[in-house]
Amino acid sequence: MMEYGYYPGCSLTGSAKKLDRGVRKICEILGHRLIEIPDWNCCGALEYGNRNELLSISGENLKKAEQIAREIVVPCPACFKNLKDANTDGVYTILSPLELLNDANLLKIEKKRDLKGQVFFPYYGCLLMRPEGNAIRNKTIMEDVISTFGGEIDGEKMKDRCCGGNQLFLNKWATEKLSTLILSKSKGTIVVFCPFCHMAMKTFAMDRKVIYLTDLLLYVMGEKRSL
Amino acid sequence: MEHIMHHKRVFELTGYSQKDFSVCLGCKICASVCTVNDLALNVNPQELLMKLFMGEQIKNDEPLVQYCTSCYRCTAACPWQIMIPEVVRAVKESLGMEARFEKAFKKCLNIWGRVYEPFVIIMSAPDLLKGGYLQYLPRWMEYAGFHFPHRVKRLSHSSGTGSLKTPAGR
Repeated sequence: MMEYGYYPGCSLTGSAKKLDRGVRKICEILGHRLIEIPDWNCCGALEYGNRNELLSISGENLKKAEQIAREIVVPCPACFKNLKDANTDGVYTILSPLELLNDANLLKIEKKRDLKGQVFFPYYGCLLMRPEGNAIRNKTIMEDVISTFGGEIDGEKMKDRCCGGNQLFLNKWATEKLSTLILSKSKGTIVVFCPFCHMAMKTFAMDRKVIYLTDLLLYVMGEKRSL
Repeated sequence: MEHIMHHKRVFELTGYSQKDFSVCLGCKICASVCTVNDLALNVNPQELLMKLFMGEQIKNDEPLVQYCTSCYRCTAACPWQIMIPEVVRAVKESLGMEARFEKAFKKCLNIWGRVYEPFVIIMSAPDLLKGGYLQYLPRWMEYAGFHFPHRVKRLSHSSGTGSLKTPAGR
């Protein structure tokens, strides 16, 4: 069993509680033990123009993790980016839960349901994919999950386009335009991993479902809830 | 020459120096990938860098300044990987362009050390009501849930994990 420090981030205690529950559950099933960093604070998200201030706010969390673990799992893509940036001397390894998934452990999952006949749009958004130094290593993991369990994939060209999520409460027309563009060039259930993308897609997706990848995995594993 | 002061502030905030932008080759690849082009005409991040380099005024109604989504497509494409979204955020901060939502966000950090969403929503309510956000409430029901704010013990401030001497450690 591997032990990791866990940094949920603010969204995952509120609007993205579902992602938090999903990540914890799936890590448990895969045999990863997550230890929440005691008294973690906000990473600063995308709200700071002052780089030093941002590094200081994010870096505090790494110091708080010192006694816990050197490998830290960070689900929210904004937190993931900031904690990576704050890891200036490379002492820690910052991981997205997506990076804990691979072919080997996907095959270990006991499949209670499959995704045959269903179409999914794996949507990563920006911060899991860019900039290169901050990106996840396995940039097709959502496709791998969907196809491993028999689902159909659509909209691959739009997978790393921007939904405008961080403008949602500032200039919602901008988010609406960007999200609608992505929605118009993809089909099926929208599978996301970012709380901002989830909210932007949910707000403008009309009749399409928006789910976290963790929901999809739990569905395959036979959790009672439907997708 | 107020804008020169603003520029100085931008360099302080980002840790970039004026000469860091002299390497920009003017290839405009950032302009060709910029997300804001889907929202406005002729958006060109390179022009913003040039203005900072040449000491020309940046206006707060420029589409890039107003609508940059921090998507980092520009950085990913840039031969020098210049963090243009960070520059834009610093420009916004130097021009004092924070909206209620952003102010509330930072206030949360000061009070609790974490963002407490109900507080942010209440503090930005005037903008949200005026902006017609009520129509989305039914869709946002799945985000609702109640928890009390958690107050974090903060450590004393220092940059990153390393011992940085230079600002921003670029």
